[in-house]
Order: sequence, then C-alpha cells, then structure tokens
Amino acid sequence: MNRKKDRIINNFIAVAVPVGILLFWEIAGRKGWINTSIMSTPSIIAENFLSLWEKGTLQKNLLISSRRVLIGFAYGTIAGIVLGILMGQFEKVNKAFAVIVGVLRPIPMIGWTPLFILWMGLGESSKITIIAISAFWSVLVNTIDGIQSVDKRYLEVASMLEKGKFDNIIHIVLPTIAPNIFTGLRLGVSNAWRGVVAAEMIAATAGIGYMISFAREMAQPATLLLGLVIIGLICLVIDSVILKLQKIIFKWNR
Amino acid sequence: MSKKDIAVKLENVKKIFKIDGKEINVLENITLDIYAGEFIAILGPSGCGKSTLLRMIAGLDSTTDGMIAVGERIVTEPSVDTGMVFQEARLFPWLKTAENIRYGIAGMNKKDWSKEEQDTKIRELIELVGLNGFEKAWPWQLSGGMQQRASIARALINNPSVLLLDEPFGALDALNRINMQIEALRIWEQEKKTMIMVTHDIDEAIFLGSRIVVMSDKPGVIKDVIDVELSRPRDRTSADFALLRKRIYELLFEDRKTLIEYYI
Repeated sequence: MNRKKDRIINNFIAVAVPVGILLFWEIAGRKGWINTSIMSTPSIIAENFLSLWEKGTLQKNLLISSRRVLIGFAYGTIAGIVLGILMGQFEKVNKAFAVIVGVLRPIPMIGWTPLFILWMGLGESSKITIIAISAFWSVLVNTIDGIQSVDKRYLEVASMLEKGKFDNIIHIVLPTIAPNIFTGLRLGVSNAWRGVVAAEMIAATAGIGYMISFAREMAQPATLLLGLVIIGLICLVIDSVILKLQKIIFKWNR
Repeated sequence: MSKKDIAVKLENVKKIFKIDGKEINVLENITLDIYAGEFIAILGPSGCGKSTLLRMIAGLDSTTDGMIAVGERIVTEPSVDTGMVFQEARLFPWLKTAENIRYGIAGMNKKDWSKEEQDTKIRELIELVGLNGFEKAWPWQLSGGMQQRASIARALINNPSVLLLDEPFGALDALNRINMQIEALRIWEQEKKTMIMVTHDIDEAIFLGSRIVVMSDKPGVIKDVIDVELSRPRDRTSADFALLRKRIYELLFEDRKTLIEYYI
C-alpha cells in the first residue's frame, strides 16, 4: 500500500515541478518581472512553434540537422567501437594511441569547428566530421572500459576449448561490452547533437543550430529558445528509446 | 577398462610460485600414473596445491620442473582432449543453456558436424546430465547444481579422453552436493572416462574415487595413494566407509593431537 502511494506521489512530483516552473515563467513574463524582448514566455514560444511549423522552416531545419547527426553519429560510433576493441584487445595498439587519445579527447568541439571548416570548407563534410568526433569519444571510452571488465575466467573456458582470439572477440568480448557500447551510444547521441549545434552556429545556412544563431542576430528570443527546447526534447526521446532497446536486447543481463 | 593404459602421467612435477621475490614451493615430487577409466580423487587441505596440479594437467598453468603427459601428448598448453569443469560453472550469462553447451564444440568439430549432428549431441548430453526441459533457460534461472550439470555437458561435448573437475560441488549445499556426487558417479560409469577430481571433502573422495591421492601442504607432496576397494555404489553409513574415513582423517591430521579443527 505504502509503496503504491509513494509511487503516485513521486510521479506527481515528476510532472508537477516542471509544469510549476513553466507556469511561474509564464506569469513572470506577463507581469513584467522579466524582460520579454530577450526572454520569451512559454506561450509565445509555443505560438512561434506553430507559425514556424506552418511555414515549414522548422521541419526543414530539423531534417537537415537530423540527417547530419545520423550520418556523423554512425561514422563516430563505428570508429569508436573498432578502435575501442583494438585498443582493449591489443596492448601495442593501446600503447600507440593512449597518448593521442589523452591529448585530443579533452579539446572541446567548439574548438575543432574552425579548424575543420578551414580544412574542408563550409560543406556537409566539415559538419559531419565534427558530429562524428563528438560521438566517437564517448563510444570509444565506454568500449575500452567494457573490455577491461571481460571475465578472465571465461577466457580460461575458451582456452580449454582451443578457441582463437577472433572467436573470443565474437563470443566473449562483444557480448560483455555490448551494454557498455549502449551506454556509449546514449552519451554519444547527445554529444552528437551538441556537435551539430556547434557546427551549424559557426558555419551553416540551415539546421537547428543555424536557426538558433540566426535568431540571435535577428533578436528573436522565441525562436532561439524554441531551438534549445527542441534539441533537449529530441535527446530525451532518443535516450529513452535506446534505454528501452537495451532492456529488450539484454534480457540476460540481470 | 584395461588397467595398463596410462591416461595421465605425472613425473617429478614441481611448481614454484614467486611471491614478492620470494620463492615458494607449492608442489614437489609429484609422480603418479593415472590409468584409463579411473576416477582419481585428489584430496588435501586448501593451499596444498591440488588445484594448481589440476590446472597444470589442464595446461592452464605451467610446471616449474618435471613432466605431465595426457596420453601421448606432453602437456604444454590446453587441449580439447582434456575437458575442464571449474569450481564455478562459468556459463556465459548471455547464452541459454543449450547454447552454452553448443559453445563447448571446438572449432575443428564445428566444421565437421552439421547443425543436426550438433543438436543431437547437445540433446544427448542434456539427457546425460539430467537437464531435460531446461534447454531454453538462462543461466540465472538455473540452481547452482543445474549450472554445474550444464558446465559438465559443455566439457564433455568434444568427447575428451580425460575430464578434470576442480572442486565442482564445493559451492553447493550439503544435500545438493551428495546428489551431484551420485550424478557424477552415474556419468562416470556411463561415459567410462578418466576423471580427476580435486576436493577437500573426504566423503566425496571416498564415495567417488577409484583411488584417493592424499596430499599435504607446505610443500604440497603426495602423502599417500589409497586404493578404494569398496563396491559401488558406496554406502556412506557402512562400517568400511567409516574405517576408510578414519584412516584418511589420521593421514591428514598426523601432526595434530586433536581433530577439532577439521570441519566439513
């Protein structure tokens, strides 16, 4: 009984607090407590959403950004898993890349952006590269972490059965690190969205990041805030989809 | 089962561990011939190196000196010809029971056996170890004893000439352990394989062993090799069983005035 009551209260809090903040924000705007010419209220953002949706600019920008994220994320993920497995499995590869990874990883995405634009111009490739790198690091680090947690006792079972290194990667390493890879994907996908905004704000003529940047120049806080909210919501949806998938795929993981 | 065929030969086997730069003699002067079809129980206190000895026969650990041969093969590395059952079942949690057993199929056999042949072998082994109906269970759905049954099936699928068992029932509760000993006996009688089991359970050694190798620690040496001539299945409550138990107790605790410290 008590547990059920607790759950109801918890669910209520989870909904009530964000709604309360939105309400307060709205009221503060209408009463003139905040300057609406730089900080739009939720209702104005919603109106703006509808008008941009009708014009089709929002969908267009969203589609362009999503496509970039998808392609960049795919490249970054595959590269992260492959290099992660190689670094985790082979000491020499690990030694070869450890310092390079250590130096490059902390550099923020916004720092890379001008360099890639210089190298590849303003086209799609510079943006996709930036997104790929954003996703790459989290997948790489989580893959390496996972490989370190491979159970040595399973490898003994394998060696009693004269299984080779490649067989071990398929049958022991990959199943062990699969949950870690998923964690990497979850972090990677939000990093990829972070990357796309960074890239589009600096050099683009379309996309959510461009929309935000353009809104700043035009002093349209409603559009600017709308862009931020949309990115947040998309990341939330993708994250919960990956979590669901994880639960379906890893039934054995209890 | 001809008593002349030597299945496993141990000759002057020695093992030294280096710990903190100090050399510790773990095993010394281990010489023993194990005949085909025998059930050998290696019995000794923990730390006497009995598990290390088994791991050296398996090829998982190397000897410092001396020679180990399984059949004609001098052991330098693991081989599918020796199956190993570890203390923990070590089933892969991401595979269902039948697939865990299928994983046991070595590469060369995988090529030779069709899917149907593999399935038949798996079915036979599941029958042998008594896991019918649990083919599709995840390892976490099996009890400790059932997990160990699956692990035995996995170790037997390549039809090894020798099966090594490293305290396989040590983690089970007392009743379950007795049950699994009866099962192990049945599997041994059915498969007619050479089996070598490491244990610290005197009753288990007497119940299963054709011969019992009693070891002492620091350094690990063979104290005695006892022929168990009781007829099978052996009655744990019989007078002969008790007599043998007493003899082994005395061997293990020669240096002590009381037996108080020995608990099973």
